Amino acid sequence: MAENGEEKLLAVARHIAKTLGHNESMADDILQIFSTFDGRFSRENLSSEGQEEDGSTVSVLERTLNSLDSQISRFVASDHPIWADPADSASFLDSIDELVNVTREWSHLASEKPVAACLSRADEMLQQAMFRLEEEFRSLMERGAESFSVNHRFHSDSEEEEEGDDGYGDNGGDVQIPVAKPLTDYDLIIDALPSATINDLHEMAKRMLGAGYGKSCSHVYSTCRREFLEENLSRLGLRKLSIEEVHKMPWHELEDEIERWIKAANVSLRILFPSERRLCDRVFFGFASAADLSFMEVCRGSTVQLLNFADAVAIGSRSPERLFKVLDVFETMRDLMGEFESVFSDQFCLVLRNEAVTIWKRLGEAVRGIFMELENLIRRDPAKAAVPGGGLHPITRYVMNYLRAACRSRETLEQVFEESNNGVPSKDSTLLTVQMSWIMELLESNLEVKSKVYKDPALCYVFLMNNGRYIVQKVKDGELGLLLGEDWIRKHNAKVRQYHSSYQRSAWNKMLGLLKVDNTAAGMNGLGKTMKEKLKQFNSQFDETCKVHSTWVVFDEQLREELRISLARLLLPAYGNFIGRFQNLGDLGKGKNADKYIKFGVEDIEARINELFKGSTGARK
Amino acid sequence: MPATDFQGSFGRSLLTLRRDQVDSSHHHQPSTTMEVELDSFQRQVAEKFIDLNASAGENNLLSLDWISKLLDSFLCCQEEFRAIIFNHRSQISTPPMDRLLSDYFERSIKALDVCNAIRDGIEQIRQWQKLSDIVISALDSSHRPVGEGQLRRAKKALIDLAIGMLDEKDHSSTTNLSHRNRSFGRVKDNHHRSFGHFRSLSWSVSRSWSASKQLQALANNLTNPKPNDVAASNGLAVPVYTMTSVLLFVMWVLVAAIPCQDRGLQVNFFVPRHYQWAVPVMSLHDKIVEESKRRDRKNCCGLLKEIGRIEKSSRVMNELIDSIQFPLSEERESEVKQRVEELVEVHEGLKNGLDPFERKVREVFHRIVRSRTESLDSLC
Repeated sequence: MAENGEEKLLAVARHIAKTLGHNESMADDILQIFSTFDGRFSRENLSSEGQEEDGSTVSVLERTLNSLDSQISRFVASDHPIWADPADSASFLDSIDELVNVTREWSHLASEKPVAACLSRADEMLQQAMFRLEEEFRSLMERGAESFSVNHRFHSDSEEEEEGDDGYGDNGGDVQIPVAKPLTDYDLIIDALPSATINDLHEMAKRMLGAGYGKSCSHVYSTCRREFLEENLSRLGLRKLSIEEVHKMPWHELEDEIERWIKAANVSLRILFPSERRLCDRVFFGFASAADLSFMEVCRGSTVQLLNFADAVAIGSRSPERLFKVLDVFETMRDLMGEFESVFSDQFCLVLRNEAVTIWKRLGEAVRGIFMELENLIRRDPAKAAVPGGGLHPITRYVMNYLRAACRSRETLEQVFEESNNGVPSKDSTLLTVQMSWIMELLESNLEVKSKVYKDPALCYVFLMNNGRYIVQKVKDGELGLLLGEDWIRKHNAKVRQYHSSYQRSAWNKMLGLLKVDNTAAGMNGLGKTMKEKLKQFNSQFDETCKVHSTWVVFDEQLREELRISLARLLLPAYGNFIGRFQNLGDLGKGKNADKYIKFGVEDIEARINELFKGSTGARK
Repeated sequence: MPATDFQGSFGRSLLTLRRDQVDSSHHHQPSTTMEVELDSFQRQVAEKFIDLNASAGENNLLSLDWISKLLDSFLCCQEEFRAIIFNHRSQISTPPMDRLLSDYFERSIKALDVCNAIRDGIEQIRQWQKLSDIVISALDSSHRPVGEGQLRRAKKALIDLAIGMLDEKDHSSTTNLSHRNRSFGRVKDNHHRSFGHFRSLSWSVSRSWSASKQLQALANNLTNPKPNDVAASNGLAVPVYTMTSVLLFVMWVLVAAIPCQDRGLQVNFFVPRHYQWAVPVMSLHDKIVEESKRRDRKNCCGLLKEIGRIEKSSRVMNELIDSIQFPLSEERESEVKQRVEELVEVHEGLKNGLDPFERKVREVFHRIVRSRTESLDSLC
């Protein structure tokens, strides 16, 4: 009974308040006065849920919505950016939060028609608020990005000052990166946007994502940041080149392009992308999926552009002169792989990571292809192009210097060749060694074929000696020697010695044969005559040979000396012996003087020998 | 050799001749296997295109599904072509094969650029998908009736979508910021502002790159191999010509279907009728050209069926929204629901098909590169 009475009392009190209170605040005041009379007239009792009267239940909701409506409409209709004033923005966000809360609190009663109508209205208000919020978000993003000047940190010195024509240098809110470090220092951490802006953006994003506006929010975010990134890339001088354009570009131009690319790739992977990642994570804090997705959207285009260029280099021409620059690109990709892994670590970026690896591998293939092209070049070098005087052939010089230069990047090359599917390394030689040995073999075969062009077999051996010697010299002291191994060097030195013997044999054996003195003296009779004949032949052959062989060239001083010494050792004793015998012969007929037939003294022989392989002035290597 | 006496059609005739020669000598020479190989290749290409023709029904031609099939066919043909070249690699470094193959690979580089451009186009379509997704989520009023705010949101996304789908040529006058000069300043266009700043994706190719020029270059001087070349290459000139034609056709279809910079379909494409695959390929070509001339698709940015569907359903939705007055009648509401469902259907189809399609295009790219690399390697 008492309860019933109490409830009736409360109902009356409410009724009075409602009819007397012309507006909500007046009604509240009246209720307040009542509550001072009697504890039962507390605000809670008068306005709590669970009352029979549906009308008053909903009316609470209605009142709340009215209040929120007036607040939110004010902001939505405003021409000025809400976020220009922190008080305004805070107030706006509070209204939104309250709206969301109220909606959530009442949604379980949505089956009741009046409640449903309110909720519908609430949703409408939320939509309006979100619409405006999206605008604010967008303009804050754009404004923030404008005042960020990353350009002259990454420009090369030759770039002109661009602040003038941009027009943004005049902005009051200009936030320069307070760093003037040299370009090579990639440890630079930059804030892509001012910290306060980031916080604001985060607050906005939080509400939008909560209200089902996540897609729009993400879309606005990604579009804005993506453009910013692409601008930066083009400021770094990176051109948008098709594969065909790269393919057809003159080499020196491509070299410059590669330099720019290396810089752009490093700046992007080490500074720009991580910065964007941090920004995403902060703006979308608490919404990992949105952060990941937005980040991918932002960086995708620029990454593809970078990778496309590297791909074009890998697919392009395999001319051997390109080796060093292609290696540069390979090494850059290799060194940035770690960055690729860490920056693109989320699910959406898997594709980008895989692309990077594919292209890196392709660059390795390109390097291997370049060596194959080198092999072709050697094989196809025409046999008839023999060097006059048997000197050093241009191809020998080219290949050996090329390989020496290449081996300075030995470590990278080892990596490149280990990746190859072909070739079976043995336990004591790497695939790079196999490749190098093979090239050497090709070179030597080619030289052997060339040597046969010479009609004079002696010249053939001189040619082989010269080139063989050069090869060993270039191999010996350097990475190439370490690669090919001691054994190889030993073998090739032996080869050169062999050519030496062959030379001697083919050019001088016959003459040596003439100087043999027959001691059996079975035919002492007429020995003088024989010796006279032999001496005559020797003289002419020696003269002829020396004349010709002096025009030949042995470029290596040591080798030249060896040849002369060896020849001298061979000839001089034999000649001296012969002459001695000859002079002691009595039987020269009719008192002829032996000296008449002796054209060369031993010293003369020696002197002529020392003239050998000087080469005519024109035939200098 | 009598082969040089032949006039006119070479593809089969030469092979028939060789078969006769071999039969008369009664033992298996390498040329028999070769003939069979070459013949089988021609047949396979023909079969693939007959099949594609058959599946190009009213609504299937130029759909994502159908184009994927086309790409699959290309990959198969390419594999077989690769095998043929590999089997006869001893010949490829001698004339005329060295010249013919080098020509093929030069063209295939142009095809690589087309593949990259198509990848851009797919990304463009993805952006449209995002917008249609926003439209759908704005109007997905399963629990509440559609309100003004939701309509406004949907409308904004629809306008962005319409702008985005404008043909490239019309685009440059509005928002395409890839045409911006190097100044960092933004163009704050008021008119533009009311549309909500839709920004198109910039292409990953330079401004001067042109898909239509690329196709023309691909097709340049593509003629039926000369009798001398066919004879001198033991018939290998024919598969090279075949493969080049297939490559050209596939690239042409991709450019026709997917948005790309300076999209143009004017290419001189003609195959002599005696080839087994000539009729099915030309038939598809003609169908697609016809499609491109249709009034409603004349100025579209890509002939892909799905693009047409998005365009249509978003346009209808746009008109519907424009005509709506509050309060919403039940009739109107159900109309909206219907249109949303249509949009969802198109959207879902694309959502599931686009990623695999992109992967396939990328696969085509990689295989073309691989094929080229292998040949270069074989030339050693």
